[in-house]
Amino acid sequence: MNRPPAITQLRGTGDIGTLTLDWKPVSWATVVDHYAVYVAEPGATTYTLLGKTVYPHFVHRGLGFTGVTRSYRVVTVDAAGNRSQVSRSVAAANKTSVTISGQPIARVGFYDGKGSELALSPKGYAEYPTRFPSDVDYTYGTSVPSVDWSYLFPGPADKWAGTKNHTVTFRFDLTAVPEQDLDLALWLIDSHASIPGSAVLSVNGAEVGRLAFANGATKGSTIADTTYPGSPLKPSYLETPLSKALFRTGQNVIELVKDEGSWIAYDAFGVYARK
Amino acid sequence: MPPPPTRRTFLQLSGLSAAAVAIGVAAPAGADAAPGRPVPSGAFALGVASGDPRTDGFVLWTRLAPTPLATDGHGGMPSDPVPVQYEVAEDSQFKRVVRRGLAIATPELAHAVHPEVRGLRPDREYFYRFRAGSELSPVGRTKTLPVQGSQFTFATASCQAWYHGYFAAHRDIARRAPDAVFFLGDYIYEYGIVAGDNLWREGVSVGPEHGVEIETLEQYRLRYSLFKTDPDLQAAHAAAPWFLVWDDHEVQNNYGADNSLYGIPPELFVHRRAVAYRAFYENVPVALDSLPHGPDGQLYRRYDIGSLARVHLLDTRQYRDPLPVDEADRVSEQRTIMGAKQEKWLYDGLRHSPATWNVVAGGVVLSAITDDRTEQWDGYPANRSRVLEAMGQAGTAVMLTGDIHRHVASELKLDFANPDSRTVGVELVCSSVGSNGDGTDTDQYAQDWLQHPYVKLYNARRGYVHSTLTRTEMTTEFVNFPYIQADANAEPRVVASFRTPADDPRLEAL
Repeated sequence: MNRPPAITQLRGTGDIGTLTLDWKPVSWATVVDHYAVYVAEPGATTYTLLGKTVYPHFVHRGLGFTGVTRSYRVVTVDAAGNRSQVSRSVAAANKTSVTISGQPIARVGFYDGKGSELALSPKGYAEYPTRFPSDVDYTYGTSVPSVDWSYLFPGPADKWAGTKNHTVTFRFDLTAVPEQDLDLALWLIDSHASIPGSAVLSVNGAEVGRLAFANGATKGSTIADTTYPGSPLKPSYLETPLSKALFRTGQNVIELVKDEGSWIAYDAFGVYARK
Repeated sequence: MPPPPTRRTFLQLSGLSAAAVAIGVAAPAGADAAPGRPVPSGAFALGVASGDPRTDGFVLWTRLAPTPLATDGHGGMPSDPVPVQYEVAEDSQFKRVVRRGLAIATPELAHAVHPEVRGLRPDREYFYRFRAGSELSPVGRTKTLPVQGSQFTFATASCQAWYHGYFAAHRDIARRAPDAVFFLGDYIYEYGIVAGDNLWREGVSVGPEHGVEIETLEQYRLRYSLFKTDPDLQAAHAAAPWFLVWDDHEVQNNYGADNSLYGIPPELFVHRRAVAYRAFYENVPVALDSLPHGPDGQLYRRYDIGSLARVHLLDTRQYRDPLPVDEADRVSEQRTIMGAKQEKWLYDGLRHSPATWNVVAGGVVLSAITDDRTEQWDGYPANRSRVLEAMGQAGTAVMLTGDIHRHVASELKLDFANPDSRTVGVELVCSSVGSNGDGTDTDQYAQDWLQHPYVKLYNARRGYVHSTLTRTEMTTEFVNFPYIQADANAEPRVVASFRTPADDPRLEAL
């Protein structure tokens, strides 16, 4: 048996709920059937098959919200069925969510894979123009999620919401300027499959950047639950640091302007302090 | 009994490099025709085929797979190389054998062999069979192209979604045994096959390994095996030589060049294309020239049928520009569905064609239908104009396409925007063999097509097309079937017939 070469330059990049592996593929001189990806859980000495891919790229999904360091390695399987020696292994961890590591300051909804506690959920988007003629303006502590926070945040590509930009405004109080940076946790149960687009993020009138949304499955406009087996939704998790210099004592305002693409569907939205 | 030779000792004994043997076309001189260990029984479960016919020969094909649906894609074959003998005879009893040869089936090519037979007589029926160890294949019938022929019959077929129905079309093509079959793409589909969803072929079930979109070589191989277990498909292969082109589903829905419609970046997608092209080569009777190298496959090619017809087989997937971003892009002179090199090759081949007919086979519809059908030539109007102009300088064009799962007959206008412009040929669009299930005679898309004076037929049932070329005319039958989902036994119906004079191309209803 002629062993095909093993892959090189295996590396792992953690995100919330996922760990992405990339490597340098073998040259075209080897006709590859697939790469077999193996994982060892922490403390384990045995590797188990995680999946097969033809790409020099693999995403380990469903890893939860607490970072865990696992070991990965890859075997090349060629067109004849011959298997390479195992590649060098790499240890990498998924990220810990700020919803686990941080202290909530203000939030809307539960970080639970469901959007059902929010207004118009699960499929009332057609009422958005009449229920939210001036978009969402939510004050933490007085507003009510099931009334004042629309489950969908439309974009300019959505005819049902007027084919225009939309804004969501989130107000919350701080009793003191934070000593460390804060974190925004924006979890989605789903988004548009091809044009989820992006939104401009501002804090207290200062623009801090653009949030790009991951492609979803275009199902979250009518289905609220990502957690049942076979749910067609494609959830995603956006967490981004916010400099402490942006904040002040008293009321603070976070604003998102969706000026690109179609809708996103919320799981929850919140601001966290670091412990 | 001595132990069977290992692969390494086999190659040392043969004195050939692994690469030379691995291509499955021939065997080293003096190679032993006896396998190192017994070949599993039922090794020819995927049948036999011939293709890429010439005036003096053709390619033969088989793939050893005693357990076609083994999930590793190797068909139940052990990983040894296996010598496969073939015989070509003038009679179906093999009393007048004219060629015998040996090719080595290797696991690198999923134990497929593609021996190329040359030096035969033109315009003649031949019969062939294979032997591996004590296993004997079914007999195939094939035919060389004529040199001085005055008549040539062919069928066209495409889009054989196995899970949507039975292959009555292939059953009937096998019965008619034309001189050649043109298969115009979508030989397999990459989608997961799921009962209660897209599995409409009644009375069958598939395991979960078929329920996911295919991506790896073992999955593409398994998908070919699943489709090729169909007895009517095997019968059509065994009845006539095939000319094959591919369309999108041999790789992924609506892909173009290295662009996936589903967000897979080009630098990743080329790895998918590489295994998909590999599995295509392994499973169909095409010549060694079409063996892909990495992500690149050479599939456009040309054959002459004497001075009667020149056959141009196109690849309208591998070199196409991405979908247009706007109208200015769509109508840009620079846009190409063929790539510059293939365009030049086609125009040279058309302008220098000595033939009465130029048969051009491609995956997607050439005729102008609507500006939003950007997956077909409507997305590449400048390239279409260049093709029509070259067709106008040669013998009458017969464009053969599929893709749309509908029968359509259209006259090819030099300028589709001007109904009074010259007709340079005709386009015969064959419906699907299986895709979209039973179908109906008409549907909501009919008006898009029939609004044009040059479109003479639209029918939305499943079927195939059969044509006869002579020096003076082509007659064409569009054949469909009342149903395909329940079983393979539906009776064929001729839904329309046309006559096309060679010196005055048009579709004259018969």
